[in-house]
Amino acid sequence: MSAKTINLNHITKIEGHAHLSLGIENGEVKTCELQAAEGARFFEGIVRDRPPQEAFEITSRICGICSTAHVMAALSAGDKAVGVKSSEQTWLMRRLLNNAERIRSHAAHLYFLALPDYLGYESAIAMVPEHGAAVRKALRLLKIGNDMTFILGGRVMHPVSAAVGGWRKLPTGAELKTMRSWMDEALPIAEETFDLFNSLEQPKFKKEIQHVALKHDKEFPNVYGDVAVGGKRFQQQDYADALKEERREYSNANFCTINAKPVMVGTLSRLYHNHALLHRKAQPFFKRSNVAENWDNPFYNNLAQAVETVHVVHEVIDLLEGFEPKKEPIKEGKRYGRGVGIVEAPRGIVIHDYIANEKGIITDANIITPTAHNLYEMQEAIRQFVPTILHLEKERLILEIEKLIRSYDPCFSCACHFLEVKWA
Amino acid sequence: MALDNLNAVTFNLPDRKLKVGFYGIAGCAGCLLSVIFNEAAILELISKVDLKAFPLVKEVNIEDGFDVVFMEGLVACQDDLDMLKRIREKTAYLIALGACAHTGCVPAHRYFTAQENIKHLVYKKRDFIKDLEPTGIGAHVKVDYTIPGCPPDRNEVVRFVLGVVLGKVPLPYMDPVCVECRRNGNLCVLEKDKMCMGSLTRGGCDAVCVNGGFECWGCRGHIDDPNLEALTNLLKEKGYTEKVIHQRMRAFIGKSYDVRVPVKVEVKK
Repeated sequence: MSAKTINLNHITKIEGHAHLSLGIENGEVKTCELQAAEGARFFEGIVRDRPPQEAFEITSRICGICSTAHVMAALSAGDKAVGVKSSEQTWLMRRLLNNAERIRSHAAHLYFLALPDYLGYESAIAMVPEHGAAVRKALRLLKIGNDMTFILGGRVMHPVSAAVGGWRKLPTGAELKTMRSWMDEALPIAEETFDLFNSLEQPKFKKEIQHVALKHDKEFPNVYGDVAVGGKRFQQQDYADALKEERREYSNANFCTINAKPVMVGTLSRLYHNHALLHRKAQPFFKRSNVAENWDNPFYNNLAQAVETVHVVHEVIDLLEGFEPKKEPIKEGKRYGRGVGIVEAPRGIVIHDYIANEKGIITDANIITPTAHNLYEMQEAIRQFVPTILHLEKERLILEIEKLIRSYDPCFSCACHFLEVKWA
Repeated sequence: MALDNLNAVTFNLPDRKLKVGFYGIAGCAGCLLSVIFNEAAILELISKVDLKAFPLVKEVNIEDGFDVVFMEGLVACQDDLDMLKRIREKTAYLIALGACAHTGCVPAHRYFTAQENIKHLVYKKRDFIKDLEPTGIGAHVKVDYTIPGCPPDRNEVVRFVLGVVLGKVPLPYMDPVCVECRRNGNLCVLEKDKMCMGSLTRGGCDAVCVNGGFECWGCRGHIDDPNLEALTNLLKEKGYTEKVIHQRMRAFIGKSYDVRVPVKVEVKK
C-alpha cells in the first residue's frame, strides 16, 4: 500500500552527529538505521604509549559534556593499572567532582535539549520571552555545576587537578564554603525543575528494557560499584562477562547486548537499580513522580534526571559537611598491569580498561561509552515506537521520534570516538 | 619572526544585526558548550545578533547568508570536509573555534600513531576506517580568525562576538603562558621537572592548568616564535627522551607547528 521514508539528517539538540533513516511500508517499520556519524577520532589508540597517569588528559577530550566522567574513569582504571589505592579523601573528591558534572549536565540536557520539545519551542532560546525565568534558573544551575567543577578540578571543562593516586590541588576552606552556599541556591531550582518535568505529559510507550548501572551497597552509585544487570552483579574487571559486544553479519558495528538483547544505561537505569539509596530528602520526589511505574518507558529518563538532580544537591551538601581536605602526597605506582575503571557519567556507565606494561606505559586500551551501550537500545526503541505514532502528521511524527532520541540524552561524540556505526 | 609576516584581518561587516551561526564537525562539542557556559552573558549575547543556526541547541537552523560562523571541530572524515566546505561558502567570515578547528587537537595525534593503531583496532574491533588525514579546518578552507584553546576560555568567545558587534575585536593574545603563570604567583613547574609546554604556548587562558596543579600541555597552540629547540634541550637535560618530548609537544597541536592566528584585526562597518 503506502511506503514512506523518513530521513532525519543531522539530528539537532543532541550532543554529536547522528542521522536516522526509516523505511516504513504498510504501517510497518522495514528499515531503521540510526547512524552515529562522527569521524573516527581514535582515542583508544592515542592513549597507547602513554603512562596511565596521563591518560585522563587525553580521554577527557572524548566529550565536552561528560569530560569529568571520562577523567574519573581514566583515573579509576589508572589507579588499578599501576597498583595504587587512592585515599578516602581522593575518592570523596572524585565523587564531588563527578556530582558537579551531574548537575551541569542534567541542567543542560533537561532545559536546553529536552524541554523545548515538550513545550513546543524550537529551542530554549525561543522560550525566553515567555519562560525567561525558567531559562535563567536553568542557566544559574548550569553555572553552579560549572563553577563547582572549576573549584574542584581546576578547569570548567577537562579538569586537571584530579590525579591517579591523589589530587594535585585541593580547594580551600573558603572555596568549599562558597560551594556549600551554592547548594542552597541550587536546591530550589532543582526542586522546581522536578515540578516542571513532573507536570509534563510523557508519551505512552513501553518496551522491554534491560537496565545496566553501577550498584553499591551503601551509596547511590557514582565513581565506584559493581555492574548490575537483571538480578546479577559483576565486579568491574569482569564487565566483559556481563556485557557482550556481538557481531552481526549485516552490520559493521558491534552491538552491546546481554542475552542477545539491547541494554539501557543512564539515569533511569541508575534509579532502577539504586532508588532505595536515593538521599532521604530526594525520596519524596521519587515517590511523587511515577518513574517507578515506568521503568520500561525511555521517555522517563528525563524525569529521572530531574529526580537525580535533587538527590545530587543533597548528596553534595552531606559530603561537604565537615569536609576539610588535607594535603596528601600523590601515590606512586607499585606495579603495572590491567586496570578497569567504571563510573557513572550523567548518561550512563563509562568503561575505561587499560593494560600497562612493566615500562609503565599503556599497551592496550578499551573504552566503552554510555551512548555506545545505548545505540542498539535506541534503534530498537525507535523501531518499536514509530508504528504507534504513524497516524501523526509528518512534522509531529518527526518531533516525537526526536523526543525519544533526546530522552536517552545521547552523546554521539562519545559513541563515535573510535568507530563509525552503520546499522543495517 | 617578523611581525609583518603575520596575518592581519579586516572584517567588513554590514551595519545591521549580524547573522551568526555556530557549527561543529568532528569534536567533543566542548567549544560549542563553552559558548553556552557563559551563563550570565549568553542571553544578552544572543539578543545582540541574529542567531540563524546553532544545531546543538536549536531545531530550526537556516544554513545561509551568514556574516560570521564559528566552527568547532577538526576534519576527521569526508563528511566533515563536505560540511566545512559547504558552510564556508555560506558565510562572509569563518572563525575557527577551539583547538580542534585550529590545529586538530588531540584527535589529530592519530596522524602519528595511525598505522599501528589501525592494525590494532581493526584487529580488535574490526572497524573500517575511511578517513582523511586529521587536520584543523585551516588546512582546507580560508579561516578569518581563530579562537584557540581546548576549550577556549569562555570569556574569549563573548569578547569576540561583542567586539565584532561593537566594531572592536580584541587582539589575539601574543605572550606565552609563562607571563600569566608568573603573574599568578605560580612556581615554575619546569623547576619541578614537569614537561611544561607553557613557554611555547599562546597564553590568554590565565595559565589555568598550572593554577590547578598540573603542567601546561599547549592546547592553545604555539606563540609566533616558539623556541622548540631550547625547550627540547632543557627537557632532555632533565632526562626525558626525545620520543617522549615530541609525544607531549604534539598532544594538542598535531603536526601544525606553523599555524598562526591573525595579529591585527579591524572591523569596518
